[in-house]
Amino acid sequence: MEYPFWDVPLLGGGMLIGIIAILHVFVAHFAIGAGLFLVLTERKARRQHDTALLGYLKRHSTFFILVVLVFGAVSGVGIWWAIGLVHPTATSALIHIFVWAWAIEWVFFIVELLAAFIYYYGWNRMDARTHLTVGWIYFAGAWLSLFMINGILTFMLTTGNWTETRSIVDAFFNPSMLPSLLVRTAVTIALAGLYALITASAEADEELRARVVKYASKWVLVGISIIPFGGIWYILSIPEQAREISMGGAPVVTLFAAASVVFSAFVLLATLLGPFLFPRRFHVTFAFVIVALGLITTGVTEWVREAVRKPYIIYDYMYSNAVRTEEVQQVWERGVLGSAKWALLTEEEKQDPLTVGERVFRFHCQSCHTVNGFNGIKFAVKGWKKDFLDIQLQNLDQLKGYMPPFLGTDEERRALVEWLYSLNNPPQQTAARP
Amino acid sequence: MPVVVPPPDPAGLPAPAWLLQVLLVFTFILHVVAMNLLVGGTTIMAISLRKGQNSPFHAELAARLAKALPVTMSLTITLGIAPLLFVQVLYGQAFYTASILMAWPWLSVVALVLLAYYGLYLVQFRPDWLGRWVTPIAWVSAVLILLVGLLYTHNATLKLAPEKWASLYAMSPAGLHLNWSEPTLIPRFLHFMVAAFAVTGLGVALMGLLAKRSQDAWGQEAVTYGTRWFIGATLLQMAVGLWFLFSLPNNLMQNFLGGNLLNTLILWGGVALAVIALLLANRSVLGALGLTVLAITLMSITRHSLRELYLQPHLDVRTIPVNPQWTVFGIFAVVLVVGLAVVGWMVWQFVKASQSSQESIA
Repeated sequence: MEYPFWDVPLLGGGMLIGIIAILHVFVAHFAIGAGLFLVLTERKARRQHDTALLGYLKRHSTFFILVVLVFGAVSGVGIWWAIGLVHPTATSALIHIFVWAWAIEWVFFIVELLAAFIYYYGWNRMDARTHLTVGWIYFAGAWLSLFMINGILTFMLTTGNWTETRSIVDAFFNPSMLPSLLVRTAVTIALAGLYALITASAEADEELRARVVKYASKWVLVGISIIPFGGIWYILSIPEQAREISMGGAPVVTLFAAASVVFSAFVLLATLLGPFLFPRRFHVTFAFVIVALGLITTGVTEWVREAVRKPYIIYDYMYSNAVRTEEVQQVWERGVLGSAKWALLTEEEKQDPLTVGERVFRFHCQSCHTVNGFNGIKFAVKGWKKDFLDIQLQNLDQLKGYMPPFLGTDEERRALVEWLYSLNNPPQQTAARP
Repeated sequence: MPVVVPPPDPAGLPAPAWLLQVLLVFTFILHVVAMNLLVGGTTIMAISLRKGQNSPFHAELAARLAKALPVTMSLTITLGIAPLLFVQVLYGQAFYTASILMAWPWLSVVALVLLAYYGLYLVQFRPDWLGRWVTPIAWVSAVLILLVGLLYTHNATLKLAPEKWASLYAMSPAGLHLNWSEPTLIPRFLHFMVAAFAVTGLGVALMGLLAKRSQDAWGQEAVTYGTRWFIGATLLQMAVGLWFLFSLPNNLMQNFLGGNLLNTLILWGGVALAVIALLLANRSVLGALGLTVLAITLMSITRHSLRELYLQPHLDVRTIPVNPQWTVFGIFAVVLVVGLAVVGWMVWQFVKASQSSQESIA
């Protein structure tokens, strides 16, 4: 409530972040795994004097820099842009708690980036040993970037001892940090194989194509087989309420959690039955099908990871609507409009319950709900009578564990009820009735 | 309308404000040099692609720029991350608010950069696909990059105008505002963009100097051509810079006209260095380059002082509590030194390998 709220119609800000983030994650994890793929495969090719395989790697690395250095890097900045616009208070918290962690990540990123360029432009210039060393430096820089970001990202769900100690060490080495790192590292390996299937299936030489397709499919299978172990460890490390939400507490989230498992299995099966068993018959279309399955898996999994954090944006510290837990009492006393300076209502507008209700909705609810789009409130309250709306609002956090408590004054709550009711029952109609 | 400014983050500053400000200005200088080469380089490449149809010199220049620009783009983005981090630490209250007011145009920066970047790669890798579309595609990238610069100027000026925020937000929360009414907008934008062409001119001259060893004639022509860009842009800058200075609100302007001795000395010291660089450019490219880097440094400090002058009535970083995290800062410092050493080693290996591969061709 400290910042102006950006109204993103239909989609909602959260979904906007989600779209950018999922595309970024799908490329960024590839960026890391591809580092390992390139160096290990280059080493293999050089040892066996396999010039055909080296030729493939050069072509693969062109694809790699075009995807990773351009889309990966720019979309990563895009997430930062989007979260600052949609959740400025939480972004500010993450920036202030982790300034030096971000700064360290920045150094790793610079190393990663320059190593990628030098590796790519060095193919025909550098001797084999130096070239491989640069490749290893790339992989180290990329994985260390993940190491840093992962610590900050997991902190949002498992703040651990930080809420008491306020120490960055506790914040960074939080309970789900290591399991998440394991899952994400496994994903990088699987995605390295997945993307290699695309470039491999585009190779002209039939013998080479079959060989690389089979080889790449093994990367996918190895990566995917590690994920369940990390996944179970991860689920055990997250807060109980978060676990409950994903396992029945909130039907949609449970559905998506199930979808995550099912789609991972599809990727595994498709890879096993396609490129692994029948590499000679593998076609580029099939590669894109597996990649699409991988993207869906990434999408639903990241969505669940975000969803189970409700009602918080930073667990036990800040609710999804940017109210810090320690400020609850203060907001409750002042009311939503007394706390949100950006409500900017004129004296005249303050007299109109519908305007007041709309403004309370904007600053208290809209960070998760749109009016009539994604998670739209108009649809959610369809058919609800005013007294039912009022009871729901009074016991919001009790009735729905994944929602924060309603902190408006009695007057604000009644105004919100009026406004919510008016969405499905336009005022002129109700006025016409006796 | 009231002036509404969000409160500072309760976590406080993770280091004393002065240290964060030094890091902010220092990393900004790195970003701005790369940005200058990107902005000027892309436009000059587009011009040379066209002229290259009749001039071998321009064809060669365009080819060399095409090779260098994607890396320059990448460096501009990456070196921009650090100053943006420190801006959010120190001035987040202003940065987030201004960005939210212009949310869609601000978010579009990401898409524009992405398009411009792929445009640069198309020009580098696939001129054969593009055929006669090479030049138009290069122009598209150039225009997109200039547009990003304009959006940054909107953001930077809106950030410095807390008195405008509430009325803009009351008008609409949709994030579609820009800052066209700001009198400093256009001169500020031109000030940065004209500087970009001066710096790129020196970059081209330096490219010529390095090429002289193997391609004497081309190298000499590049030195002359680059120097011409530098001199022309810097002469134009004399007018644009004064326009920017005199477009500032009077009370702020006075700080740079004797009102504040330090601010005045730093600004006019920067101007003096640019003038000396101008006089020296035809005789010594390296001398002009050194002076220009110093001038950029002084100008970046001036930019920072101006920001402080604008914001101090509304938010003063000196009043934000400091909770230093020295241990993690120490780790950052060590990682930075090691990281730069690794980068230095890789670049050295690359240059060494490039030279020996060129020799083996020769």
